[in-house]
Amino acid sequence: MNEPFKQMLVYLDGSEDSVVAAMAAIALALRLEAHLTAMYVINTKALGELVKARIFLEMEEREYRRDIEADADRYLNHVEKMAAQKGVPFTAVKTSGSVHTEVKRYVKENEIDLLVLGGISHIHSRRDEMVSESDRMMRTAPCPVLVVRDQDQIWDLFESLPNVLAGGIDETT
Amino acid sequence: MRLHDVLERDLIKVPLNGETKIAVLEELVDVLVQAKKASNREELLSAIIARETLGSTGLVDGIAIPHAKTKAISSISLVLGITKKPIDFDAQDGKGSQLFFLVLAPEKEASAYVELLASIARATSSASLRRLLIAAKNADEVMNLFFD
Repeated sequence: MNEPFKQMLVYLDGSEDSVVAAMAAIALALRLEAHLTAMYVINTKALGELVKARIFLEMEEREYRRDIEADADRYLNHVEKMAAQKGVPFTAVKTSGSVHTEVKRYVKENEIDLLVLGGISHIHSRRDEMVSESDRMMRTAPCPVLVVRDQDQIWDLFESLPNVLAGGIDETT
Repeated sequence: MRLHDVLERDLIKVPLNGETKIAVLEELVDVLVQAKKASNREELLSAIIARETLGSTGLVDGIAIPHAKTKAISSISLVLGITKKPIDFDAQDGKGSQLFFLVLAPEKEASAYVELLASIARATSSASLRRLLIAAKNADEVMNLFFD
Protein backbone atom coordinates (compact mmCIF):
# COMPACT_ATOMS: atom_id res chain seq x y z
CA MET A 1 0.00 0.00 0.00
CA ASN A 2 1.32 3.44 -0.90
CA GLU A 3 1.77 5.76 2.06
CA PRO A 4 -0.17 9.03 1.77
CA PHE A 5 2.76 11.34 2.49
CA LYS A 6 6.30 10.87 1.15
CA GLN A 7 7.71 14.40 1.20
CA MET A 8 7.04 16.28 4.42
CA LEU A 9 8.00 19.84 5.32
CA VAL A 10 8.11 21.28 8.83
CA TYR A 11 8.43 25.02 9.34
CA LEU A 12 10.78 26.24 12.10
CA ASP A 13 10.65 29.76 13.51
CA GLY A 14 12.74 29.50 16.66
CA SER A 15 9.74 28.90 18.90
CA GLU A 16 9.31 25.89 21.16
CA ASP A 17 6.05 25.12 19.35
CA SER A 18 7.91 24.75 16.07
CA VAL A 19 10.47 22.39 17.61
CA VAL A 20 7.67 20.23 18.97
CA ALA A 21 6.09 20.28 15.51
CA ALA A 22 9.43 18.99 14.18
CA MET A 23 9.38 16.16 16.73
CA ALA A 24 5.88 15.18 15.59
CA ALA A 25 7.02 15.38 11.96
CA ILE A 26 9.98 13.09 12.67
CA ALA A 27 7.70 10.54 14.35
CA LEU A 28 5.28 10.61 11.44
CA ALA A 29 8.03 10.50 8.80
CA LEU A 30 9.52 7.47 10.53
CA ARG A 31 6.18 5.64 10.47
CA LEU A 32 5.45 6.58 6.85
CA GLU A 33 9.04 6.12 5.65
CA ALA A 34 8.85 9.65 4.34
CA HIS A 35 11.53 12.24 3.74
CA LEU A 36 11.48 15.26 6.05
CA THR A 37 12.63 18.77 5.20
CA ALA A 38 12.86 21.48 7.85
CA MET A 39 12.72 25.06 6.64
CA TYR A 40 13.66 28.31 8.37
CA VAL A 41 12.87 31.56 6.61
CA ILE A 42 14.81 34.68 7.56
CA ASN A 43 11.96 37.17 7.58
CA THR A 44 13.64 39.82 5.44
CA LYS A 45 10.20 41.17 4.52
CA ALA A 46 9.58 42.13 8.15
CA LEU A 47 13.13 43.48 8.51
CA GLY A 48 12.63 45.57 5.38
CA GLU A 49 9.31 46.91 6.67
CA LEU A 50 10.96 47.93 9.93
CA VAL A 51 13.71 49.83 8.11
CA LYS A 52 11.20 51.43 5.73
CA ALA A 53 9.07 52.60 8.66
CA ARG A 54 12.31 53.76 10.31
CA ILE A 55 11.59 51.64 13.38
CA PHE A 56 14.97 49.99 12.71
CA LEU A 57 18.13 51.79 11.80
CA GLU A 58 20.13 50.09 9.06
CA MET A 59 22.74 49.00 11.60
CA GLU A 60 19.97 47.38 13.66
CA GLU A 61 18.66 45.58 10.59
CA ARG A 62 22.12 44.13 9.94
CA GLU A 63 22.55 43.12 13.58
CA TYR A 64 19.18 41.38 13.82
CA ARG A 65 19.63 39.71 10.47
CA ARG A 66 22.89 38.19 11.76
CA ASP A 67 21.13 37.10 14.97
CA ILE A 68 18.27 35.48 13.04
CA GLU A 69 20.73 33.71 10.70
CA ALA A 70 22.46 32.27 13.75
CA ASP A 71 19.10 31.20 15.22
CA ALA A 72 18.22 29.51 11.93
CA ASP A 73 21.46 27.53 11.90
CA ARG A 74 21.04 26.54 15.53
CA TYR A 75 17.45 25.31 15.17
CA LEU A 76 18.06 23.54 11.86
CA ASN A 77 21.09 21.75 13.34
CA HIS A 78 19.04 20.75 16.37
CA VAL A 79 16.26 19.23 14.26
CA GLU A 80 18.80 17.57 11.96
CA LYS A 81 20.30 15.83 15.00
CA MET A 82 16.87 14.71 16.18
CA ALA A 83 16.04 13.31 12.74
CA ALA A 84 19.37 11.47 12.58
CA GLN A 85 18.76 10.11 16.08
CA LYS A 86 15.55 8.47 14.85
CA GLY A 87 16.89 7.50 11.42
CA VAL A 88 14.70 9.79 9.34
CA PRO A 89 16.10 11.06 6.00
CA PHE A 90 16.39 14.81 6.38
CA THR A 91 17.12 18.01 4.49
CA ALA A 92 17.64 21.44 6.08
CA VAL A 93 16.66 24.53 4.12
CA LYS A 94 17.52 28.08 5.13
CA THR A 95 16.14 30.83 2.97
CA SER A 96 14.94 34.42 3.23
CA GLY A 97 12.02 36.57 2.18
CA SER A 98 8.35 36.66 3.07
CA VAL A 99 7.76 33.64 5.29
CA HIS A 100 4.46 32.29 4.00
CA THR A 101 5.39 33.09 0.39
CA GLU A 102 8.68 31.19 0.63
CA VAL A 103 7.05 28.19 2.28
CA LYS A 104 4.31 28.09 -0.36
CA ARG A 105 6.91 28.34 -3.14
CA TYR A 106 9.00 25.52 -1.67
CA VAL A 107 5.95 23.28 -1.25
CA LYS A 108 5.02 23.73 -4.90
CA GLU A 109 8.53 23.40 -6.35
CA ASN A 110 9.45 20.32 -4.33
CA GLU A 111 6.18 18.41 -4.44
CA ILE A 112 5.77 18.51 -0.69
CA ASP A 113 2.66 16.56 0.24
CA LEU A 114 2.34 17.48 3.93
CA LEU A 115 3.19 20.72 5.73
CA VAL A 116 3.64 20.44 9.51
CA LEU A 117 3.17 23.54 11.67
CA GLY A 118 3.21 24.34 15.35
CA GLY A 119 2.05 27.47 17.09
CA ILE A 120 -1.16 28.36 15.35
CA SER A 121 -2.50 30.90 17.79
CA HIS A 122 -6.05 31.60 18.82
CA ILE A 123 -7.97 34.07 16.71
CA HIS A 124 -8.06 37.18 18.88
CA SER A 125 -9.06 39.74 16.32
CA ARG A 126 -10.90 40.09 13.07
CA ARG A 127 -8.29 42.55 11.85
CA ASP A 128 -6.40 41.20 8.84
CA GLU A 129 -3.16 42.87 9.93
CA MET A 130 -3.17 40.69 13.08
CA VAL A 131 -2.84 37.40 11.21
CA SER A 132 0.36 35.52 12.06
CA GLU A 133 2.74 33.92 9.56
CA SER A 134 1.68 30.43 10.70
CA ASP A 135 -1.96 31.36 10.12
CA ARG A 136 -1.10 32.59 6.63
CA MET A 137 0.81 29.40 5.86
CA MET A 138 -2.07 27.24 7.04
CA ARG A 139 -4.52 29.17 4.88
CA THR A 140 -2.44 29.38 1.72
CA ALA A 141 -0.48 26.10 1.63
CA PRO A 142 -1.18 24.15 -1.57
CA CYS A 143 -1.02 20.83 0.30
CA PRO A 144 -2.52 19.22 3.42
CA VAL A 145 -1.43 20.84 6.69
CA LEU A 146 -0.89 19.16 10.05
CA VAL A 147 -1.11 21.48 13.06
CA VAL A 148 0.66 20.11 16.13
CA ARG A 149 -0.84 21.16 19.47
CA ASP A 150 -0.27 18.83 22.41
CA GLN A 151 3.35 19.33 23.46
CA ASP A 152 3.44 16.74 26.28
CA GLN A 153 1.94 14.01 24.12
CA ILE A 154 4.44 14.73 21.33
CA TRP A 155 7.40 14.71 23.73
CA ASP A 156 6.29 11.33 25.06
CA LEU A 157 5.77 9.98 21.55
CA PHE A 158 9.20 11.19 20.38
CA GLU A 159 10.98 9.80 23.42
CA SER A 160 9.31 6.42 22.94
CA LEU A 161 10.76 6.02 19.43
CA PRO A 162 13.92 3.89 19.23
CA ASN A 163 17.18 5.69 18.60
CA VAL A 164 19.40 4.50 15.77
CA LEU A 165 23.14 4.62 15.24
CA ALA A 166 24.79 5.36 11.89
CA GLY A 167 23.84 2.54 9.57
CA GLY A 168 20.36 2.25 11.01
CA ILE A 169 21.09 -0.09 13.95
CA ASP A 170 18.62 0.23 16.77
CA GLU A 171 20.45 1.36 19.92
CA THR A 172 17.82 -0.14 22.13
CA THR A 173 18.06 -3.67 20.77
CA MET B 1 4.97 36.48 17.55
CA ARG B 2 2.23 39.05 17.28
CA LEU B 3 1.09 41.95 19.40
CA HIS B 4 -1.77 39.81 20.72
CA ASP B 5 0.66 37.22 22.04
CA VAL B 6 2.26 39.63 24.51
CA LEU B 7 -0.32 42.33 25.19
CA GLU B 8 -1.56 42.11 28.77
CA ARG B 9 -3.95 44.32 30.68
CA ASP B 10 -1.39 44.96 33.44
CA LEU B 11 1.07 46.21 30.84
CA ILE B 12 -1.20 48.96 29.53
CA LYS B 13 -1.29 52.41 31.09
CA VAL B 14 -3.96 54.92 30.10
CA PRO B 15 -3.34 57.74 30.48
CA LEU B 16 0.38 58.17 30.89
CA ASN B 17 1.18 61.17 33.06
CA GLY B 18 4.64 62.02 31.69
CA GLU B 19 5.00 65.21 29.70
CA THR B 20 8.53 64.72 28.38
CA LYS B 21 10.24 61.98 26.41
CA ILE B 22 12.29 60.81 29.38
CA ALA B 23 9.32 60.93 31.76
CA VAL B 24 7.25 58.78 29.39
CA LEU B 25 10.06 56.23 29.01
CA GLU B 26 10.49 56.04 32.79
CA GLU B 27 6.75 55.58 33.26
CA LEU B 28 6.62 52.76 30.71
CA VAL B 29 9.52 50.97 32.39
CA ASP B 30 7.84 51.42 35.78
CA VAL B 31 4.75 49.64 34.44
CA LEU B 32 6.94 46.70 33.47
CA VAL B 33 8.68 46.62 36.86
CA GLN B 34 5.39 46.93 38.78
CA ALA B 35 3.99 44.01 36.79
CA LYS B 36 7.05 42.01 37.91
CA LYS B 37 8.18 41.38 34.35
CA ALA B 38 11.59 42.82 35.15
CA SER B 39 13.42 44.20 38.15
CA ASN B 40 16.44 46.15 36.99
CA ARG B 41 14.79 49.50 36.21
CA GLU B 42 18.01 51.44 35.61
CA GLU B 43 19.49 48.82 33.28
CA LEU B 44 16.31 48.75 31.23
CA LEU B 45 16.21 52.53 31.00
CA SER B 46 19.87 52.67 29.98
CA ALA B 47 19.26 50.24 27.12
CA ILE B 48 16.23 52.19 25.88
CA ILE B 49 17.93 55.56 26.10
CA ALA B 50 21.07 54.20 24.41
CA ARG B 51 18.88 53.15 21.47
CA GLU B 52 17.14 56.56 21.41
CA THR B 53 20.47 58.33 21.16
CA LEU B 54 21.11 56.53 17.85
CA GLY B 55 17.87 57.89 16.45
CA SER B 56 14.42 58.61 17.81
CA THR B 57 11.84 55.84 17.72
CA GLY B 58 9.12 58.46 17.38
CA LEU B 59 7.55 57.61 14.03
CA VAL B 60 4.63 59.30 12.28
CA ASP B 61 0.93 59.72 13.10
CA GLY B 62 1.50 59.91 16.85
CA ILE B 63 3.16 56.50 17.15
CA ALA B 64 6.39 55.79 19.00
CA ILE B 65 7.95 52.34 19.34
CA PRO B 66 10.87 52.64 21.76
CA HIS B 67 12.69 49.33 21.81
CA ALA B 68 15.87 47.67 22.98
CA LYS B 69 17.58 44.35 23.35
CA THR B 70 18.89 43.78 26.85
CA LYS B 71 20.09 41.12 29.23
CA ALA B 72 17.94 42.74 31.91
CA ILE B 73 14.82 40.97 30.68
CA SER B 74 14.09 37.26 30.36
CA SER B 75 11.30 37.25 27.78
CA ILE B 76 9.94 39.60 25.15
CA SER B 77 7.74 42.22 26.77
CA LEU B 78 5.45 44.95 25.52
CA VAL B 79 4.15 47.94 27.43
CA LEU B 80 1.53 50.15 25.81
CA GLY B 81 0.98 53.66 27.10
CA ILE B 82 -1.25 56.43 25.80
CA THR B 83 -0.98 60.11 26.70
CA LYS B 84 -3.92 62.51 26.70
CA LYS B 85 -1.87 65.15 24.91
CA PRO B 86 0.84 64.73 22.26
CA ILE B 87 4.39 64.58 23.67
CA ASP B 88 7.49 65.84 21.89
CA PHE B 89 9.28 62.55 21.10
CA ASP B 90 11.46 63.85 18.22
CA ALA B 91 9.09 62.11 15.81
CA GLN B 92 9.85 61.75 12.10
CA ASP B 93 6.92 63.96 11.09
CA GLY B 94 7.76 66.59 13.69
CA LYS B 95 4.39 66.09 15.38
CA GLY B 96 3.74 64.97 18.93
CA SER B 97 3.42 61.31 19.92
CA GLN B 98 0.56 59.83 21.93
CA LEU B 99 0.73 56.06 21.41
CA PHE B 100 3.81 54.45 22.95
CA PHE B 101 4.67 50.79 22.41
CA LEU B 102 7.72 49.90 24.49
CA VAL B 103 9.25 46.60 23.34
CA LEU B 104 12.07 44.93 25.25
CA ALA B 105 13.68 41.66 24.30
CA PRO B 106 16.38 39.36 25.62
CA GLU B 107 19.37 38.85 23.39
CA LYS B 108 18.40 35.46 21.93
CA GLU B 109 14.91 35.99 20.57
CA ALA B 110 15.68 37.94 17.42
CA SER B 111 13.06 36.37 15.13
CA ALA B 112 10.19 36.84 17.55
CA TYR B 113 11.34 40.39 18.34
CA VAL B 114 11.39 41.39 14.67
CA GLU B 115 7.98 39.82 14.08
CA LEU B 116 6.50 41.60 17.09
CA LEU B 117 7.79 44.99 15.95
CA ALA B 118 6.44 44.34 12.45
CA SER B 119 3.10 43.30 13.96
CA ILE B 120 2.88 46.57 15.90
CA ALA B 121 3.77 48.54 12.76
CA ARG B 122 1.03 46.78 10.79
CA ALA B 123 -1.57 47.20 13.54
CA THR B 124 -0.91 50.90 13.93
CA SER B 125 -1.08 51.52 10.19
CA SER B 126 -4.86 51.61 10.65
CA ALA B 127 -5.97 55.23 11.12
CA SER B 128 -9.24 54.12 12.68
CA LEU B 129 -7.48 51.97 15.26
CA ARG B 130 -5.14 54.86 16.12
CA ARG B 131 -8.10 57.16 16.67
CA LEU B 132 -9.89 54.59 18.83
CA LEU B 133 -6.76 53.97 20.92
CA ILE B 134 -6.27 57.67 21.55
CA ALA B 135 -9.93 57.93 22.60
CA ALA B 136 -9.65 54.95 24.98
CA LYS B 137 -10.23 55.89 28.61
CA ASN B 138 -8.61 52.91 30.30
CA ALA B 139 -6.73 49.63 29.80
CA ASP B 140 -9.93 47.60 29.46
CA GLU B 141 -11.05 49.69 26.52
CA VAL B 142 -7.64 49.21 24.89
CA MET B 143 -7.82 45.44 25.38
CA ASN B 144 -11.28 45.40 23.80
CA LEU B 145 -9.97 47.23 20.75
CA PHE B 146 -7.29 44.61 20.13
CA PHE B 147 -9.26 41.54 21.14
CA ASP B 148 -12.50 42.42 19.36
